[in-house]
Amino acid sequence: MKAYRILAVTERVLRQLWHDKRVLAFMLVLPAVAMLLFGYSFSGDITDIRVAFIDEDDTDLTASILESLRADDAFDVAVLQAVDDPERLLFESGYQAVIRIPDKFTSLYYAHFAMGVATSAQGTIDLTLDESDPQIAATIKMGLADAAMDLGEGGPVEIDTRELYGVEVRFIDSFAPAIMGLVVALISTVLTLLSIVREKVDGTFSRIWVSPVRRAEFILGYVIAFGLIALVQSLVVLTIGKTVFDIVINGSIAWAFVCVILFAVGSVGLGTLLSALAQTESQAIIFFPLVILPSVLLSGMMWPVQAIPRLLRPLSYLVPLTYSNRLLRAVMVKGLAPWQEPVGFVGVLVFVVLTILLASGVLRQSAGERE
Amino acid sequence: MTERIPVFLAESLTKRFGSLCAVDGVSMSIEPGEIYGLVGPSGAGKTTLIRMLSGLTAPTDGAARLLGSPMPGGRRGVEHRFGYMPQERAVYRDLSVAENLLFFGQIYGMSRARIAQRTRELLGLMRLEDRGRQRADRLSGGEKQRLALACTLLHEPDALLLDEPTIGLDPALRREFWDHFRELNARGRTILLATHYLYEAEWCDRVGMMQRGRLIAEGTPEHLKAEAADRSGQERPDMEEVFLILTRAPVAGGAP
Repeated sequence: MKAYRILAVTERVLRQLWHDKRVLAFMLVLPAVAMLLFGYSFSGDITDIRVAFIDEDDTDLTASILESLRADDAFDVAVLQAVDDPERLLFESGYQAVIRIPDKFTSLYYAHFAMGVATSAQGTIDLTLDESDPQIAATIKMGLADAAMDLGEGGPVEIDTRELYGVEVRFIDSFAPAIMGLVVALISTVLTLLSIVREKVDGTFSRIWVSPVRRAEFILGYVIAFGLIALVQSLVVLTIGKTVFDIVINGSIAWAFVCVILFAVGSVGLGTLLSALAQTESQAIIFFPLVILPSVLLSGMMWPVQAIPRLLRPLSYLVPLTYSNRLLRAVMVKGLAPWQEPVGFVGVLVFVVLTILLASGVLRQSAGERE
Repeated sequence: MTERIPVFLAESLTKRFGSLCAVDGVSMSIEPGEIYGLVGPSGAGKTTLIRMLSGLTAPTDGAARLLGSPMPGGRRGVEHRFGYMPQERAVYRDLSVAENLLFFGQIYGMSRARIAQRTRELLGLMRLEDRGRQRADRLSGGEKQRLALACTLLHEPDALLLDEPTIGLDPALRREFWDHFRELNARGRTILLATHYLYEAEWCDRVGMMQRGRLIAEGTPEHLKAEAADRSGQERPDMEEVFLILTRAPVAGGAP
């Protein structure tokens, strides 16, 4: 293996991209647009969630819960009379949640204070929740918990609360790592695929395989080119994330870059693999949605993997971006080292090793049963 | 007779794609310094034969040798000495003329200075001097073909496999290509080229005529003409007639 041949391939790929100003613009604009678009659409500041509030107790204490909820921008609170079936109300009226305070709430709340922690008596708020949108559900749970906290010294109010992310982490903070992975995966996979299919169509592949260039050198050349591009794209995402959305990065940026480049390597391998299935550029384009849709829908980028129906969830674990998201979120949001998120880390490593090995076999075939 | 290793050697070379036999038991030997023309219609198996000799396609049966090395297995020792021009011209359409040459020079380990020097030489030779910065997809067909030949010649190979190098060229440019070939040949290069322009066969030292995967006639143009004249009784047949006569159903008491 010779470094100069690898770098010759790298230089050539970069020059080709440099010449195609549309692709070049696409590469730089995509991360920016993705970050801005997704950032603004999902920046976590969910507002105007329609919530029904039913107060069967009607005391000063419960009134203060209502007040807290009303003060929260997230909610559009409607006060209703008691209903028999909150679920039906939810279905029929379009409320995202029905919050019902039972009539003994206030007395149980104070009884608990009077008897100390030993008692099991405590105020309970019934929450009926539309779980179809986990982000909204989470907002409601958190909003209600906040309202209950406002009651006093962390009043022992029972609500079934499940937090999706840490309380201080906003959605956008965990979104930036996903955008980085998505953009890098798309560009590396799609452009590698197109580039290699073009080599086949134009016959330049034949010239490469009669030259001293080895398959491994060829792949490494692509890997270095797209690794560099991934780095630039990550910088674009992080810059916009930082300046426009003020995202919080708790972890090491260096580790994040290492992980992103690793992911780019796997994506180059995937693009090479897919190139075996396409003989022409128009056939290659068919694969684009195949790469994009699962990544966006199943990777846990927009909603947690836990929110994906059980039936589809195994598919999530076949989507490389799922692992990249776990890994990059752990590194950037939680501030962990890559190996402290073993599932994501191993997942990305397996993705890299598997695709690069298979890609090498695929190139052997494309090279026309050369060896 | 001195012991000379054939530049290209095919021994009962056969390639089957499924039920199609693209090349059917071809044996041939091209000696150093020859210009050998492989002629025959499209689909006769010329490209497959050339790809097997270049190591790009593995034979189903038989053996291919390039400069004495078995192909495709033994190409590592000889790949620097060998140049291949695929039928598809095979240049990077989104790179400039000079960048194409730069890349193909780099992968053969040439220094940038050497590549720059060779680029100047070749662009001059191919009359592409003012096209260095032009993107390949903006070149005319003839210019692109000249670039393709330049990419093949850049690293100064001894053995050249040219697959339809003159296809689609206008007559003047075709003559010019042949001037290049003879010039290269005069400097000791061995050339095996495929063409379906039969009259080009006249300009080769030796000609192999292919039809349906088989090498049906081989020899110097004069030899083939004499044989055709013999068989048909026609006086001074041109190469097209020679091909038609020799590929017709074999006449009793055919070639010696």
